[in-house]
Amino acid sequence: MLWRRLVLVALIIGPIVGLLAFGFTRDARYITSPLIAKPAAPFTITLFDGGKLTLEDLRGKAVFLNFWASWCPPCRAEARDLEAAWQKVKDKNMVFIGVALQDTDRNSLEFLKEFEVTYPNGKDASGKIAVEYGTWGIPESFFIDPQGRITYKHVGGIRAPLVLAKLEEAARGIVSAQEGKGDYQPIR
Amino acid sequence: MRVFSNDPQCLLSLIAAKTEIQSCPNNRGRGADSIFHSDLFVSPSHPLRGRGKGEGAVIGTLIIFLFLLVPSAIPAASPDLEEQTRSIAAELRCVVCQNLSVADSPSEMAQQMRAVVREQLQAGKTPEQVKEFFVSKYGEWVLLKPKTTGFSALLWILPYVVLVLGVITALWFIRRWARAKKFHALGVDSNEAARSELLKEDFARPDLEDSSPRAALLRERARLQDEIRELEFDFQSGKLSDSDRIEIKQEIEAKAAAVMEQLRALPPEAPPIEAAPRDTRKIDTRGSADRTRLRRWQIVTGGVFLMLFGLALGVMLTQSIRPRLSENDTMTGDFMTGTTAASGDLQGAMNEGKQAFARQEFPKAIEAFKKVLSADPDNPEAHSYMGYILLQAGHGDGALMAFDKALSQAPNLPMALWGKGMVLYQDKKDFASAREIFERLLSLVPPGEERNEIAKVLAEMPAGDQKRADSAPSAAAAAPSATAQVSGKITVDPKLKAKLDTNAALFIIARAAGTAAGPPLAVKKIDRPKFPLDYTLSQDNVMMQGTRLAGKITISVRLDKDGNPVTRGAGDLSGEYAKNPVEVGANSVDIVINQSTP
Repeated sequence: MLWRRLVLVALIIGPIVGLLAFGFTRDARYITSPLIAKPAAPFTITLFDGGKLTLEDLRGKAVFLNFWASWCPPCRAEARDLEAAWQKVKDKNMVFIGVALQDTDRNSLEFLKEFEVTYPNGKDASGKIAVEYGTWGIPESFFIDPQGRITYKHVGGIRAPLVLAKLEEAARGIVSAQEGKGDYQPIR
Repeated sequence: MRVFSNDPQCLLSLIAAKTEIQSCPNNRGRGADSIFHSDLFVSPSHPLRGRGKGEGAVIGTLIIFLFLLVPSAIPAASPDLEEQTRSIAAELRCVVCQNLSVADSPSEMAQQMRAVVREQLQAGKTPEQVKEFFVSKYGEWVLLKPKTTGFSALLWILPYVVLVLGVITALWFIRRWARAKKFHALGVDSNEAARSELLKEDFARPDLEDSSPRAALLRERARLQDEIRELEFDFQSGKLSDSDRIEIKQEIEAKAAAVMEQLRALPPEAPPIEAAPRDTRKIDTRGSADRTRLRRWQIVTGGVFLMLFGLALGVMLTQSIRPRLSENDTMTGDFMTGTTAASGDLQGAMNEGKQAFARQEFPKAIEAFKKVLSADPDNPEAHSYMGYILLQAGHGDGALMAFDKALSQAPNLPMALWGKGMVLYQDKKDFASAREIFERLLSLVPPGEERNEIAKVLAEMPAGDQKRADSAPSAAAAAPSATAQVSGKITVDPKLKAKLDTNAALFIIARAAGTAAGPPLAVKKIDRPKFPLDYTLSQDNVMMQGTRLAGKITISVRLDKDGNPVTRGAGDLSGEYAKNPVEVGANSVDIVINQSTP
């Protein structure tokens, strides 16, 4: 009699506690971005060298789009890797674009100089491009195929081999179902 | 040359742990943070979230000031537009904060999002379209109020369903209680005789052979009495609830009443029921006393349960819900999932250790960090602090080991890099390696005071490796050690070039010829090697003091991904000298890295 009641109570309370535990232990931001496999938002950016770059003009090329800031340590950690990757693909039908976020021109330029970055970089002064790409952390990288579709998104620092692999996939129009996370350790 | 003190206060200025992650950060605040604080570095994908507590107030003031300025800076937007912007922003989640709306958040990102909302409204979009735009970019979680369609509809419906179910359950219980109460009131009158009869101690139990109707009825009465006793026993031993007891008892008593009725109808052979009103009353009183005691118990148990439940809830809520400390962190920490039961203690011990370290109470700090390491043996921060404590106590080797352990877990942890650099520089006088470490640190640290400090150390460091020159006089006694070295070039097989990890550490390992197990004779570690690499393995690299690098040795190399010489992981590359063993003193001992651990 008594145990039957206990089982009944457990059956009711169990799923509720389970649901709460599930919700509390998950970060909603890691729900896969709705942008993957969708057309990349068009934008025009003023580059640090004064030129202008429009994403639409890069149709037919695989594009690697990276959001960064000089004050962000993981951006610094990945900077050399990105440049190394760029050096490997710059003669192929691929383009790298760096977008500086929430940064001053002076610091951004120093950063580019320090890490000898040669691919085109500009700044998103209004933050509009960042919003268009659903950015919530940096560095954040997007891979866009020649048809202008986002094939992969990576939140956090990224290494050269992954950049090259995902660029190859983007060039062939292969979409990754999961977005990537940077190599980091949780604070304790 | 400037002398860098091992004084922890001096070190503290560089590793001061003064940052605490706030729930809603402002992105620009970090410039003034101590970048050596591991929190910022070990969580690299967390760039929009940290803010120093110290300057928090200043930034807060600045933000308020900016807020005061902003409205006047916006060219006279209509109040309607502003109101509409605000109301939409209030429904959007600030993507860099915890549970703050875009309207309420002071972060730069939220400001930019508000600007986007305003702009889209000006362009003629409806509020629904604006919200849809943000959902298309960030997903539905950007809405503070989930949608009422699709799967999210459950969130809206479920509470009402639960409420209705709760009301139904409550009503059901109340009805049951009311019925039980009513029975209590009625039962005393209607079945009083039966009850008093059944509770009587000495019942006549006629022989089974007696087949008269009276005997059969008396046997039935006795059986019912047994049943009642069993029922009471079951209730006392907790197998039965009160309401069930009452229900069953009612049935038995009804049966007993019927039996007694029949008995009464029989011709009076011997008076079956002795008039015992006093007894009955006595027994009845006992029954009601039992009930009162029982009810009191119920109230006390219920009260205690409620109190414990409240306490547990209070403790759980306060302990479990907190701002996320890192990207991987959750609002409940590991409290709900219980993966690291001691994580709260761990954080406490860590803080205790840091504070003790800051007060220079090293024994206490060691205790605390040991506690952290016993629960989490790989904690890079605790290893780093241990390193600093060992360093100031003059144990350079131990310190180096601690920093290496920290770096094997978090290769970019600035405080560990700084510590290792300092050990190599001051204690080991290995300027080349120290330079390498400081240069790596320099590349990780954003411009600022700390970066200048590192640059200064680098500038003041003597060029090259003066170690041999420094230790020459003492080494003079051991004359053979001057030639006790092996040198050559290390290259990588072109087939393995793709697998090369630029962050891996290279170990050059020498073993006495013919031994394959046990500790090697000498090991040299080179962080982030660049191939082709010229190397020299000398007496300075022997593992145990007192042993000499001499005779025939076998030389091998391993490019280790995790930098931990003990573990052999997938992706590690290795190679050995083709003509092993080799005599110490040989040059051109060239090695090709041509094997890969699958």
